[in-house]
Amino acid sequence: MNFMDTKEHILNSLRKNVRETYDMPELSFKKRTFEDPVKAFIETTITTAGAKLMEIKPDDDINQKIREVYPDARIIASNIPGVEANLNPDTLAEAQELEKTDVGVIKGEVACAENGCVWIPQTMKEKAICFISECLVILVSRKNIVSNMHEAYERIQFNDYGFGTFISGPSKTADIEQSLVYGAQAARGVTIFLTD
Amino acid sequence: MQYDRKMKIGLFVPCYVDALYPEVGVATYKLLRSLGVGVEYPESQTCCGQPMGNAGFQNMADNLAQKYDELFSTYEYVVAPSASCAAYVRFFHPHILNHECAAAKKTLDLVEFLHDVLKVDHLPSKFPHKVSLHNSCHGVRELGLSSPSERNVPRFNKIRDLLNLVEGITILEPERVDECCGFGGMFSVEEPAVSTRMGTEKLKRHMATGAEYITGPDSSCLMHMQGIAKKQNLPIKFIHVAEILSAGL
Amino acid sequence: MSTKHSIAAEKFLQNGERVTRHDQTFWSVRTKRDTLAYELDEWENLREAADKIKKHTVTHLADYLEQFEQNATRNGGIVHWAKDAEEYNQIVLKILRQHEVKKVVKSKSMLTEECHLNDHLFKQGIDVVETDLGERILQLMELAPSHIVMPAIHITREQVAECFRQKGIIAEHGTHAAEGILPTGEDPNQSSDPTFLTRAARYHLRDNFMTAECGMTGANFGIAETGDIVVCTNEGNADMSTSVPKLHIVSMGIEKLIPNYEAMGVFQRLLARHGTGQATTVYTSHFRGPRPGGEMHIILVDNGRSSILGNEEHWQTLKCMRCGACMNTCPVYRRTGGYSYTYFIPGPIGINLGMLKNADENYHNLSACSLCCSCDNVCPVKVDLSTQIYRWRQNLDGMHHADAMKKAMSKGMKVIFEHPNLYTSSLKFAPLVNAMPKCLTGIKLNGWTYGHEMPVFAKKSFHEIWKKQLRSESV
Repeated sequence: MNFMDTKEHILNSLRKNVRETYDMPELSFKKRTFEDPVKAFIETTITTAGAKLMEIKPDDDINQKIREVYPDARIIASNIPGVEANLNPDTLAEAQELEKTDVGVIKGEVACAENGCVWIPQTMKEKAICFISECLVILVSRKNIVSNMHEAYERIQFNDYGFGTFISGPSKTADIEQSLVYGAQAARGVTIFLTD
Repeated sequence: MQYDRKMKIGLFVPCYVDALYPEVGVATYKLLRSLGVGVEYPESQTCCGQPMGNAGFQNMADNLAQKYDELFSTYEYVVAPSASCAAYVRFFHPHILNHECAAAKKTLDLVEFLHDVLKVDHLPSKFPHKVSLHNSCHGVRELGLSSPSERNVPRFNKIRDLLNLVEGITILEPERVDECCGFGGMFSVEEPAVSTRMGTEKLKRHMATGAEYITGPDSSCLMHMQGIAKKQNLPIKFIHVAEILSAGL
Repeated sequence: MSTKHSIAAEKFLQNGERVTRHDQTFWSVRTKRDTLAYELDEWENLREAADKIKKHTVTHLADYLEQFEQNATRNGGIVHWAKDAEEYNQIVLKILRQHEVKKVVKSKSMLTEECHLNDHLFKQGIDVVETDLGERILQLMELAPSHIVMPAIHITREQVAECFRQKGIIAEHGTHAAEGILPTGEDPNQSSDPTFLTRAARYHLRDNFMTAECGMTGANFGIAETGDIVVCTNEGNADMSTSVPKLHIVSMGIEKLIPNYEAMGVFQRLLARHGTGQATTVYTSHFRGPRPGGEMHIILVDNGRSSILGNEEHWQTLKCMRCGACMNTCPVYRRTGGYSYTYFIPGPIGINLGMLKNADENYHNLSACSLCCSCDNVCPVKVDLSTQIYRWRQNLDGMHHADAMKKAMSKGMKVIFEHPNLYTSSLKFAPLVNAMPKCLTGIKLNGWTYGHEMPVFAKKSFHEIWKKQLRSESV
């Protein structure tokens, strides 16, 4: 059976086997919102998500703040203008070159109060920076915080890179006897820089 | 308390209650009579067919379902002191017979009948004991006698509401408030190891409340736990909710 | 008479401490789920929405698949269709051969387990490295998952440590992994500290991420309107697998499709809350095309799903999103472990999926249910799991798999219950059973006496009491 046959076979089988059809429901029920989503986001981030959070003022020096949080970082990767970095994910030939990154600095576009998720669209050639870095600094504006995932999904945008991810704190696992360990395969630590 | 309506119900006493726990049937009868309800007991009743159905032989229950419908369809309500049997009749008989069943629709567990139909708010009974409430699966999740712990719905417990009317009683509930005790009809025979383990754990959680009695609306769960308690010589007593509600009548 | 499940369960239950640990582990996940459920006012609305969205999607699946294919293709992905496991495995192999792949890093995918992909690739000389920590542990130990979300939770830390030592992972990464975790002077070869072991696995898997030529993922969701593939993990292993290698192969069961982002909002909120009792997975990644200079292949796999749609009694299993909540709540699963079941997916959903896959092999699991209906009430998409198990039991006789003893008992009951006179006279004689010696009532007549004393028949049945006493006063 060739490719087209298979596709037709599956689609025909599905069409033939439908007995009764159902309509898409209205999703108009009331969803949880927070009176102060910023406060709720901060709370979720530093508790259940297991991340740190710094509130950044307009005249703060970002680079100094990064050094404050991660004083031992030797290799910093970022493509954000103004961030002092040793590696730029836009100009690397291969993702493997990011392997020794201590701190990756990236930008989030939407943040969600109910679960600490921050939407990070790929805005760099090598998205590995978002996962391979030992620690991540995620810049996100307090103006872009929403209450719940329904609102978040209304807001998120894609670009030509065709990838985006919600990240909520550091990589976690509880696969060994259910004991929670930070830093399974991806970032061991995450710090949210909450900007104006 | 007397109810002014001249109500006549059909009493369904499931087979195993009939044979093993007739006192539960008697308690139910007395309780209903004391509340001014007319009670009839069609004498050729036997079993609702659940044991066969749960074992995979629902088709052997068709005559029983048919017979049940014939025996009970003329009553205003049919009341059974067994949550699981009431649920089986109400939800499965129409499937077995492939048509709506007049009797099935009107079949209620005793707790439902007292709580929802008669809306009993006063009882003369006394039971100065600590009891641990056994929330039977089919009572919780099929009949809705209490809010299932899995769901985010307003918390309620109709059995507790009724027991609260009894003077002197202390009502406790075990940890894992509506986890299965492991009876499951022929499940207990086909999977004896896990059934026994579930029952043993359930007993321990009931006993950890400090209760003297385990009580519930379903004698089948009580029978299962009682069988295990006896084998392990555990110091705990069993009593059906109907017996507590009618205590002192 | 005993089913394979009941035999395996009895064996598992012999180690009481292990049973306690296993039960408490999954009960704690259930409890975490409950806490999240109670704090969200719209919880039941979300479940209802999820149920209806899935019903809608699977009954319009052909249209949505076409829409998905169009969008995914427009986004630069390459879409393949596989009618069964064999065709699926061939497609994967072909793609890997075209790219001369020697090593694949793979994130957890139940579909690949279903199709036995790893074995197929190993035979062809391609190395497949599982990258979810639990899956990797099992792969190194040559074991199958015993749960679909927490596959290796039944393995102890000591067993993991022993395995890592044997496989040389501690020798290679132990010193590095011990830094800042183990007290100075503690021998990494002696440690079974979970943080240390996780760190050692991190470095071990890092090496594989750096050198693999292909990353494979499953799909938690496919979104028809945008062509996105959504993968949810806590470890970030799906992202590591797809950020370094240039080739990404997605394997998706066709029922994983949902219409749009509005629906995605519902499922994102439900998945982790149900599966692990977290408000979200750490990563919810949307793949909408290949990475720069790379390729993204999406294989849409049927493998029996389209025919399930035509099964009046069981089509709603297609709504399942593999969260594992029904296993966590199942009192039988928690006390008998994943390996007691004959199908690779255990618990209530596994009992049903196993029957749909191969009833002759998997009818043994139908006994593993007390019909407590807890699974129906936790399921985020409201699959009527226990009712389906009940229905399967009704079909066993027709499949010639009915248990002879249960059938005989049911037949006996039928005779007695259908004849009120016979019934009442048996009631009269029933108390005699009380006097029978234990060796007679306790023989292999049934499994009851395994853990129970026999109940005592009343001296007078309710029938008798009624006739002699109550009947006259009731008038």
